Amino acid sequence: MARAAASLLALALTLVVAPSFGAGESALQFPARDDAIVEHLPTHVGDAAERRAARAAERAQRAALQEHPDELGLALQAARDALARGRLRGDPRELGVAQAALAPWWSRADAPPEVRLVRATVMQSQHLFQAALVELDAVLATPGAALPVRAQAELTRAGVQQVLGRFPEAEAGCRRLAGADYVALGSGVRLNALACIAELSSLQGHADSAAATLARLAGAPDVDSATTAAGVAAPGWLNLMRAELAQRRGDAAAGALFAAALKSSPDVYTQCAYADWLLDQHRAAQVVALFKGNEAADPVLLRVALAYRQLHGRGHPLTREATATLGERYDAALLRGDKSHGREQSRYELELRGDARAALRHARANWAVQHEPADALVLARAAHAAHRDDAAAPLWQFLRETGGRDARLSVGGPAAAPFLQAAAQTVARSAP
Amino acid sequence: MIRACALALLLAAAPLAQAHKASDAYLTLRVDGPAVDARIDIALRDLDRDLDLDADADDQLTWKEVRTRWADIAALARRDIHLHADGARCTPDAAPSPDTEADRPALTQHSDGAYAVLRTRWRCAAPVQALSVEYTLFANTDPTHRGIARIARADASANAPEPRLVVLSPGKGWHRFTLPALPVVAPQDAASTTPASAPPAAAAMPATPPSGPVDAVATPPAESAASTLLGFVREGVHHILIGYDHILFLLSLLLPAVWIRSVKLEPRTGLERARWVPASDLRHALTSVLKVVTAFTVAHSITLALSVLDVVDPPSRWVESIIAASVVLAALNNIWPLISEARWKLTFVFGLVHGFGFASALKDAGLAKGALAAPLVGFNVGVEIGQLCIVAAVLPLAWSLRGTRTYRGAFAAGSLAIAAVAALWLVQRAFDLSLIAG
Repeated sequence: MARAAASLLALALTLVVAPSFGAGESALQFPARDDAIVEHLPTHVGDAAERRAARAAERAQRAALQEHPDELGLALQAARDALARGRLRGDPRELGVAQAALAPWWSRADAPPEVRLVRATVMQSQHLFQAALVELDAVLATPGAALPVRAQAELTRAGVQQVLGRFPEAEAGCRRLAGADYVALGSGVRLNALACIAELSSLQGHADSAAATLARLAGAPDVDSATTAAGVAAPGWLNLMRAELAQRRGDAAAGALFAAALKSSPDVYTQCAYADWLLDQHRAAQVVALFKGNEAADPVLLRVALAYRQLHGRGHPLTREATATLGERYDAALLRGDKSHGREQSRYELELRGDARAALRHARANWAVQHEPADALVLARAAHAAHRDDAAAPLWQFLRETGGRDARLSVGGPAAAPFLQAAAQTVARSAP
Repeated sequence: MIRACALALLLAAAPLAQAHKASDAYLTLRVDGPAVDARIDIALRDLDRDLDLDADADDQLTWKEVRTRWADIAALARRDIHLHADGARCTPDAAPSPDTEADRPALTQHSDGAYAVLRTRWRCAAPVQALSVEYTLFANTDPTHRGIARIARADASANAPEPRLVVLSPGKGWHRFTLPALPVVAPQDAASTTPASAPPAAAAMPATPPSGPVDAVATPPAESAASTLLGFVREGVHHILIGYDHILFLLSLLLPAVWIRSVKLEPRTGLERARWVPASDLRHALTSVLKVVTAFTVAHSITLALSVLDVVDPPSRWVESIIAASVVLAALNNIWPLISEARWKLTFVFGLVHGFGFASALKDAGLAKGALAAPLVGFNVGVEIGQLCIVAAVLPLAWSLRGTRTYRGAFAAGSLAIAAVAALWLVQRAFDLSLIAG
């Protein structure tokens, strides 16, 4: 009987191909040569000797921390250095390194305010805005917190509230920072506070006066001394602020301001902001050149893919490969429950994959959380492309309430259309 | 925008408004009886942070810098990744030697760069049902790291379940999950009858030492022999009642039992013409049913035993395909009968193949070595009970309706529909497609 079954199976054998195991696993590689370069690590700044020194310093710091994990000063320094590196390279792994350095205090409710401040920064970077606000409120409610720590908490909190679209609260924070409480910290803090107030007013219908204020601040004599601990020159962030405002106003000066910002703070955020402006100007070749050899970070890869698309079209192998890689990264982020990519994923779906409905889904979910001008832009473009103008209603409502305006919502953008102009005019008319 | 507000004299703590890809490791755990083949892909960037792979500190890694530190890489993984099966610790095979093909240092590419690939075979005490993974990789250096694990059985049947995806968080310590069940067994039912009744989906356990409380969670109270037997009976009933292919096969064979094939001489043409006519004798119908059911029982019992005892072990993809083919043939035989009165023979031949199908269900329900009698008997009894339920439901109805035009119509349409559905199964099982559920 078994033989009968066996002969049937033999018959089936001829019909059926052997099942394949391991589909979906990436292929193994066995490099043949010892001197083959198998991975480029995040580069340190400087020439070969300086890079070696920087790496050695990083190792020494790690070793010292391993030896004395309970030394708060050492741990805080390591955490801050990690955040600075992460900021420069756009690398979320450094958030984990910062968290690891502060492990003994990380989950303690009675952590020192300095630790809570780092914790808030990490949470905010992970788009955990509410949790970050809780931490920052706690820092500011700690009676003994050092003044510089309070000032940073105040500023970071204003930043989070600005992202969330809560402009009055953000402005109140920056006004406190500009006030008598913090005067002892000097002109650097005051510069930050005034710039913050100006930017917030630019988002509430006073773009022209804000632009003038920021220009005046950038020209102030003491501005060069206002440098952060990480070596980011004040003109860098100030110029970035001015560039983004010029971009919203449709002012061609934005390009020069971005370039100036990039010169003094060549971090990933600034690069990507500049790249977005270049893409809107149809200057994709410059985007490719900007990131040449440094395409590792997710947001960078998105801009590079968009540039390839503009240069070569969606079907070109370069565009397709970058798009596929991005897709894998978003999939990986989804698996680990990371929902912080909504804005970028919306652009990926709309501009690279041509899926307007998916783009709109991401854009709406993103808008439900954050209300920056770039968030507004992706929502407007995705809603228009998906023929779901109604889906952008909350955005127009928000702009009506705050008085916000953005030239990209009426002209210039690739998906811009008459309806956008009409909507923007409506908004402009209803603005105070 | 907010990051532009980095404050003078203070922290350079301006937030990352955007992100690089975060750190992930990719684990593929393929369970093959009591063995688990593990492939772990770890980013060279992460390994460099913990192990300082970049010996000459030039911010790039050569193959030599990675290859010569392979033992350290393997040791790191061994220190931080542990497997337990059903409450007992599994042990990895001896430390990988660079000389053997299977353990050769290897790399692979993921979306954000090069990864070291570690391949290890783990041995567990018994065939694995519920797997626990203790995962503390990079817990001390990057708590935001995650391990993305795909867990599957080394079973290539055409409609094998999707591998289970689990995200391992190093801070959480133990992660426990049951394995994907067999195609036709719903996961929660498989879990309820397996020795360790585990939560059906992944569940992160609080961090516990390897031999401590986690064992108390994973090990069930000792079960009596009777309840074990009953468990397998239930498994058998369940398997046949939710196994649509077995039901349709039986149905195709039972539908004509209330009829007999009558050959009539066509007066005009002088040709003989066969057609189904209602049986007048209930005994005839019952005998016919009894023959079919007995043939099916005897046949599948034989192959079930042979397969469970590891005498014959045909690949499940072929078995599943032939089962689908048997349903097609049985249904078509009703429309164009080749075998009418001796349907039990057809039943017997294909019953042999269905037995192999039952066997893989039983094997995946969990069999401890040396304790085969109870599962074999229990499962078989369960299958018979399920089979009798089907007969009890179908036969009275068929008998009472056998003379109606409704039955004749339902018979033809039903047989065709069964043949069509089974043909689709056949195609998808044979060619590993997914067209319909089944």
